[in-house]
Amino acid sequence: MLSSPLGSITISSDAIAHIVGETALECYGVVGMAAKGPVRRLLGRERLTQGIQIGRNGDGGVTIDLHVVVEYGLNLAEVASTIRNRVGYEVGRLTGLPVRAVEVHIEDVRRSE
Amino acid sequence: MTAATDLDAVQRVVGAALASLEASRHRIDDLNVYPVPDGDTGTNLTMTVRAVADAVEESSASDRRSLARDVARGALMGARGNSGVIFSQIVRGAADVLAETTNGVDPEIAARALRGATDAAYRAVRRPVEGTMLSVIRELAEEAESRTNHGTKLGDLLIELVRRGEEAVARTPEQLAVLREAGVVDAGGAGLLELVRGVASAVSGEPVPAAPPAEEHLSVEAIHQELSRYRYCTVFLIEGEGLDREQLEDRLEELGDSLLVVGDESALKVHVHTDDPGAALSLGTAVGTIDRIEIANMHEQTHQREERLLASVPEPDLDAEQAVTGIVAVVAGDGNRRLFESLAANGPIRIVEGGQTMNPSTADLLAALRTLETAEAILLPNNSNILLAAEQAALHFDRPVEVVPSDSIPAGLAAMVAFDGTLGAGDNAEEMRDAVEAVAVGEVTIASRDVQWNGVAIRKGEWLSLADGQPVAGGTSFEDVAGAVVDRLLAQPRDVLTLLKGADEQPLDGLLDRIATAHPSLEVDVQDGGQPHYPLLLSAE
Repeated sequence: MLSSPLGSITISSDAIAHIVGETALECYGVVGMAAKGPVRRLLGRERLTQGIQIGRNGDGGVTIDLHVVVEYGLNLAEVASTIRNRVGYEVGRLTGLPVRAVEVHIEDVRRSE
Repeated sequence: MTAATDLDAVQRVVGAALASLEASRHRIDDLNVYPVPDGDTGTNLTMTVRAVADAVEESSASDRRSLARDVARGALMGARGNSGVIFSQIVRGAADVLAETTNGVDPEIAARALRGATDAAYRAVRRPVEGTMLSVIRELAEEAESRTNHGTKLGDLLIELVRRGEEAVARTPEQLAVLREAGVVDAGGAGLLELVRGVASAVSGEPVPAAPPAEEHLSVEAIHQELSRYRYCTVFLIEGEGLDREQLEDRLEELGDSLLVVGDESALKVHVHTDDPGAALSLGTAVGTIDRIEIANMHEQTHQREERLLASVPEPDLDAEQAVTGIVAVVAGDGNRRLFESLAANGPIRIVEGGQTMNPSTADLLAALRTLETAEAILLPNNSNILLAAEQAALHFDRPVEVVPSDSIPAGLAAMVAFDGTLGAGDNAEEMRDAVEAVAVGEVTIASRDVQWNGVAIRKGEWLSLADGQPVAGGTSFEDVAGAVVDRLLAQPRDVLTLLKGADEQPLDGLLDRIATAHPSLEVDVQDGGQPHYPLLLSAE
């Protein structure tokens, strides 16, 4: 929750997850999101936030876990680092919330043709 | 060609590319605003190409195929940053093509190598972003392919590629908004162009027109356009041994926000917004030596930018922020009520309970209109049976009011998306009517009697689906009947399908599976509408 003289603003975890999903799919090397837990592959909206978990700290900070599939043959450490930077940057920029951690889990590598 | 000449040629070309890039490294660093404005693209790309040069230097390849493998591997292992990763994939794609050739490289082979590089680069990202290295390499491939039949020499082709590359880089701000806003071209694309320029001059033996002068100095701070809680944007480089990025991040986090620490054990680039840049620098000097320090007062920048904007924009009308128009909407179902309320942008909304079998009276609608405090109003009946009452109510209302003839809840929702309370009723009504007309609406209900309707035979108690008021299918299987109306709605290409679950909600898993399989790129949005009589309402836009 962000406070201002005009009142408070709340940003739902779902909204943050959408930002993460949109951003992650544009990160170079990411060819998909990995399903985690019960497979929720049915819905367009849910597909976008699949493999993304948002945690909220008591102090308003956000922690982000995302599970991705990366193209085979790329430098995984660098791809993960870019995802981490870009997701943290975009969430911070678009929500104004402090991003405490972005954990990138590369669940699989895939060879696209 | 022998392996030794191959190796010599590759060494010479890579060396020339590296020298050309290094000369522009800082300029490219300063261009970097995407994907993250951390000002390290030139450095990352240079380190990546240097790794390729080292790999070529150390290569003991005895044939072209193993040389290509060494080069691709050097790029993969040495890739630094986002631009480095993309570059490594470009190198791999080109190397895969060149590995299978036997003669000297001619324009035809160069075109195929660039195509292979482009395909490899695009393949590794789910949503390629235009206005980046990706669009530049693609344009280079297209240029080369258009010049293979003209008896062109390789050197001449490369000079043409530099020209095309310059055009492609210059166009990146048109393709990517964040570049346009910051007033820069894409850093990765600019780096790729410098590499091609180096190769071109090495192969053609002619000087290739020089890179844009470095005096167009743009600092990282120039792109900070939003207000930060903190005053100073602080950027610096730490060089040392065994630098611990995570530990440094933890310490810096206490000082401010927008923190980025990138690099490796020997060099870290720090970007932080803080009120105490001195403390941030001290953290750097505690673990290594610091360099390339840039500190900018963002509040000053923001202030200057606002002054500029205010000078170019007429004084804002203070009243414009206040609602001019309010809405009265007839809605059934708690979920739908919430959806309507959430969509009432910049204006008040009053919901009148009602729908298919519960038609509010003219008096009900008039009473709701009178509770609005706005000067003008919009009335959304959301059912054809209520349209007449709505028009009567509008006639008796003493303020300007427009009836938008929405004949269903989904149509009403589409209209709500177009609503803006700061505009007058007339302007709103125009936008909202267009929105109602653009949306295709489906309904799934239970037939209340046996009917033969437009060739569709339906028995009482069976499922019945309608598209824009016309019957589509009837039967005992909810999924089949609902599936038929979905197919009808999606007969034209659509972007979004919204499903509103009724009070008597039916399991949707099978239907949603069908939709996901048949229309993988469609965005599907399921909401709890809670309306009676219609277990499912749909709209396609």
